[in-house]
Amino acid sequence: MLSCADFLAEFGDYIDNVASPDLRAHLEEHLHECKTCRVIVDSTRKTIQIVTESGCFTLPAHAVDAIVSEVMARVHQKST
Amino acid sequence: MSQFATTSEDLPRSYPNLVAAYGFLPNLFRAQSDLPHAIEAEQRLIEVVVVRSGRLSREEKDAILFGVATVRGSDYCRALFEHSLPAVSHRNSALLDFSLKLAKHGPRVSGRDVASLQNCGFNDRAILEAIVTTGVALMLCTLADGLQPELDLELGLVVPGEPPDLPEPSDWPKASEAHLLLPYSTADSTALAVLREQFGFVPNLYRLQSAVPELLEPEVALLESVLFAESGLNRVQKECVLLAISAANLNTYCATLHSQVLSILGVPPEESDRIVANQSEDQRESGVSGVDQVLVEQCRKLASLPGLSNQWFERERLRSEGFTEPQIIEAIVVAGLANLLNTLQAGVGAVPDFPPRRVFGPKDLYRFPGDSRPISNATPSEDPDAALVARVQKGETDVFEELVRRHSRRVFGALAGLVGNLDDARDATQDVFLKAFENIGRFQGRSKFSTWLTSIAINTGTELLRQRKPSESLAEMEDDEGFRPRQVQRWEENPEQQCSASQMNRLVREAVLRLPEKYRVAVLLRDINQLSTEEAAAALELSIPALKARVLRGRLMLRESLAPHFIRQEKTDA
Repeated sequence: MLSCADFLAEFGDYIDNVASPDLRAHLEEHLHECKTCRVIVDSTRKTIQIVTESGCFTLPAHAVDAIVSEVMARVHQKST
Repeated sequence: MSQFATTSEDLPRSYPNLVAAYGFLPNLFRAQSDLPHAIEAEQRLIEVVVVRSGRLSREEKDAILFGVATVRGSDYCRALFEHSLPAVSHRNSALLDFSLKLAKHGPRVSGRDVASLQNCGFNDRAILEAIVTTGVALMLCTLADGLQPELDLELGLVVPGEPPDLPEPSDWPKASEAHLLLPYSTADSTALAVLREQFGFVPNLYRLQSAVPELLEPEVALLESVLFAESGLNRVQKECVLLAISAANLNTYCATLHSQVLSILGVPPEESDRIVANQSEDQRESGVSGVDQVLVEQCRKLASLPGLSNQWFERERLRSEGFTEPQIIEAIVVAGLANLLNTLQAGVGAVPDFPPRRVFGPKDLYRFPGDSRPISNATPSEDPDAALVARVQKGETDVFEELVRRHSRRVFGALAGLVGNLDDARDATQDVFLKAFENIGRFQGRSKFSTWLTSIAINTGTELLRQRKPSESLAEMEDDEGFRPRQVQRWEENPEQQCSASQMNRLVREAVLRLPEKYRVAVLLRDINQLSTEEAAAALELSIPALKARVLRGRLMLRESLAPHFIRQEKTDA
């Protein structure tokens, strides 16, 4: 069976649901036996969800127009 | 280093052949005024190769120069070469097609390509002239890429050029083979004597050209001025640059030659192997100093093969490492020399002088998942931005607005996550789009436009971080190679319900900004910008396994930061 270190090195594809069937079977075999790695998988999935949904680096809609205007003014300045 | 004081008014008088070639002294050469010997050597090469009629006319050579600048996406050189291009171009289709293939797909030029030209009536001497002209064009484009000279007033406004549609070659030359059958000259000459003195022998690249001393001599004079002369950069630094670019151009011959020279200079072959393999990140294992690694890393971006063309040489990065302006200019000139030599070798097909430690092949073509990799079954229509990009490339400036509108949020998101300060991120977002507009002629559609744009954003943000004082940024988590998760308690079922949206926003923001930069960028692209693994790897010029490793490490570090806020309080585990 995989060690926890091996599991932690390999579980990226598992989290992203792109692990090959063989790898998935090996990882799940380890997970079945290891509570610590189950906690890590669960909390890593929650971390990804929190980060993805936080919108913490999102540009407000009203700021888009200002950026577009500024950029195009500089583009036109460059072109002439 | 500057050998004598020359005012900018005096400069044209110092380089009469350049003034004769272009009608004025172009800024491309003025920008090298700290290196007068290099300008003199370039002047001689241009005078002999470009201006003087040989088997090819000046018009035929100008057509090659202009075509190569278009393939390379160098607007400055297009304007410079167009300036001397006759109204009715002497475009010889077979010759130009050969030169363009050499410029774009150098390592895949074979004896068959040369034989095709011979069948069209060109003798080996004329073909050699076309090869050297192509090499000079790429050298000048490299100088323009690195030096970024202002467009001269004497040159007209440049409309970004549409890259010619060059088919992707389907084969790879089976073995190194000399393509030209010019006789070796046994007559001694100053140039051959210099080569013997410097290398201990005459490398095959020059032996193949020994029957044409009028071309060989200015090439060797350039080597003397740029490579052999004592100057701001030492010989090891210059050879490292030559090696890195030769490897990026997949030139087995030149990589072998420069590895050998480095070995003679005391650099172990394993270190040369690391430069060839582009393992610049692992500085701790390499004997090449961190500062020199930065030099190599920046100069590698000036390679002529388009694999790294979505990254630009950053002068500021070298300044921040303490390189002086003359040293930076010299590094760019050495990079130009490297592309010239690589092109000459790919054209003439010189056989390696030593057994190669690494033979490049087709598998090396797509080592970088950036714009060198053809998207499978790709057609421009698969990139939703392709049509708009093509219109901007043809000069429809206003169409660029739609591209800005489509991508400003993504670019801002990447920059805000990198630099933290939202005002800086807004300013940098504008800079990114301006850089994209200025360089859109170089975009060849081998990656999605959005991926290309993201890589510009990452480079811009990274540069901004480097310019900052460390005290202005949040303390980063330790980049510990032995990182292991320490928080192993269960989390709440719905952690997002544990705090308000604004609190969550702040928590995530601070946790992301504390990540070491290389993990932060990877997480930003995958989890905040929602790029696919392949797109993120392409934008960061990483292999897919390397990108995945960074994303996983970054996510685990984030988890570690956030865990104290979300671990389940009651002990309910059965």
